[in-house]
Amino acid sequence: MLNYQFDWSTVTSGKYFDWLASGVKVTLQLSALSIVLAFILGLLIAVMRMSNNKPVRWIAHAYLEFFRNTPLLVQIFFWYFGSYKILPTAVNDWLNSTNFEFAAAVIALTIYTSAFIAEDIRSGVLSIPKEQMEAARSAGFSYLRSMQYIILPQAVRLTVPPLVNQFLNLAKNSSLAMTIGVMELTYQARQVESYTFKGFEAFTAATVVYVAISLVITALVNIYNEKVLNIHKAA
Amino acid sequence: MKKLVTLFMVTVLASMAAKTVLAADTLADVKKKGVLVAGVKDSLPPFGYVDEKTRTIVGYDIDFINAIAKKLGVRVELKPVTSASRMPQLQESHIDIIAATMTKNPERAKQVDFSHTYFFTGQKFITKKGTVKSLKDLEGKKIGTAKGSTSEQNVKKALPTATVLSFDDYPQALLALEQGKVFAVTTDEAILAGILAKAPNKARFEIPRVQISDEPYGLGMRKGDKRFVDFVNKTILDMEKSGEAARIFNKWFGPTTQFHLQRNFKITAGK
Repeated sequence: MLNYQFDWSTVTSGKYFDWLASGVKVTLQLSALSIVLAFILGLLIAVMRMSNNKPVRWIAHAYLEFFRNTPLLVQIFFWYFGSYKILPTAVNDWLNSTNFEFAAAVIALTIYTSAFIAEDIRSGVLSIPKEQMEAARSAGFSYLRSMQYIILPQAVRLTVPPLVNQFLNLAKNSSLAMTIGVMELTYQARQVESYTFKGFEAFTAATVVYVAISLVITALVNIYNEKVLNIHKAA
Repeated sequence: MKKLVTLFMVTVLASMAAKTVLAADTLADVKKKGVLVAGVKDSLPPFGYVDEKTRTIVGYDIDFINAIAKKLGVRVELKPVTSASRMPQLQESHIDIIAATMTKNPERAKQVDFSHTYFFTGQKFITKKGTVKSLKDLEGKKIGTAKGSTSEQNVKKALPTATVLSFDDYPQALLALEQGKVFAVTTDEAILAGILAKAPNKARFEIPRVQISDEPYGLGMRKGDKRFVDFVNKTILDMEKSGEAARIFNKWFGPTTQFHLQRNFKITAGK
């Protein structure tokens, strides 16, 4: 360490900067797409989990327990390598001709995170007094419409802080996609390291970008809170 | 308080200076300690791996370290390193020398002094049998390799239209090849031969005669440590002259092994 010569130009310009920049782009695409899909899927699972229909409730419960309790890395390998065994040859051939690495990573991140999001939303819904649902139903709303117009708008508001956590986790978890060859930020940082041995510089740059992404997500949600939900931070 | 800070700074600077002096003369240092600490791979047969019976690390790289230590008259201590950890370990003086399948390239030579080339191989491919006759057959295809290696850039240069996927390790790259997710797996031939030898259904794969780069391996030493570099270079040149270097090659890669490689290089000065 004492003999280490820092050389920031390695990562601030030239070929290696381009590698890191392309990694940032992939990380952003991966995170943004997965966040949107995970939120939609999580909402759906949460509604199913609270349904009055027993089989629907049971399916949602099984989904939650399964995907919350298995490691994300295993899930990524499952979607990428494991799916090969159960899909027909024609489908495999088609998948292999596409950018399946990216797709498998999005699927894994979406499903994994949606399980946590669903539980966060459910806890938000449970905190809404059940009389509201009863009132909505007696006013002639169906279960789904009551959820849509009365319960969820209130619940999502309460759920914002834990949802931010899930989004931040997802953005950082996206680095696991490198294990199946998705060339995102951590992958590129490691490439730079193995070519130049400038690991400190490469990973410092990657760290700065992850922190920046996290801060941007947090800032966006804060803006959403203030402008759309009119929640103002307590003094 | 101010005094304390000054004292601390002086101590740090002094120890830095002391360390630099020590680091600059590994040869004397190693002789004084009576031990040569070498960073080696411990899971990459036949360069460096744990022998099942003796539970010690053995291999081609280790035999070179043993020969150097013998000439120095010191004992050997082997420290497992990865491609990523070997440089910091050397720079922080946790090890004295790297013998871990390290390809010599100009970027790396800025950080480390290399010995003469002690192993020479080339980057090739493993493919399903009969699918590849020439480099052309690989154009526009997906090609797998493992992280932390120089293989990826070589493919990008030789096959600009190909997509390169780096997996965590070679077994996963081979699995991807088996499932048709990649069309070929690429890295140094000597490593490919090791992977193929261990593959469960090796009859389905082959290594076609398509080579895209030269991969000279060098022993790595701290930058500017001229006396030590000269000593190591002289030792391995002597090993070439005495035939010991060729013997070590044949022991690990020759016709009696599962690799059946021909020795197509000689250790020479200036390389």
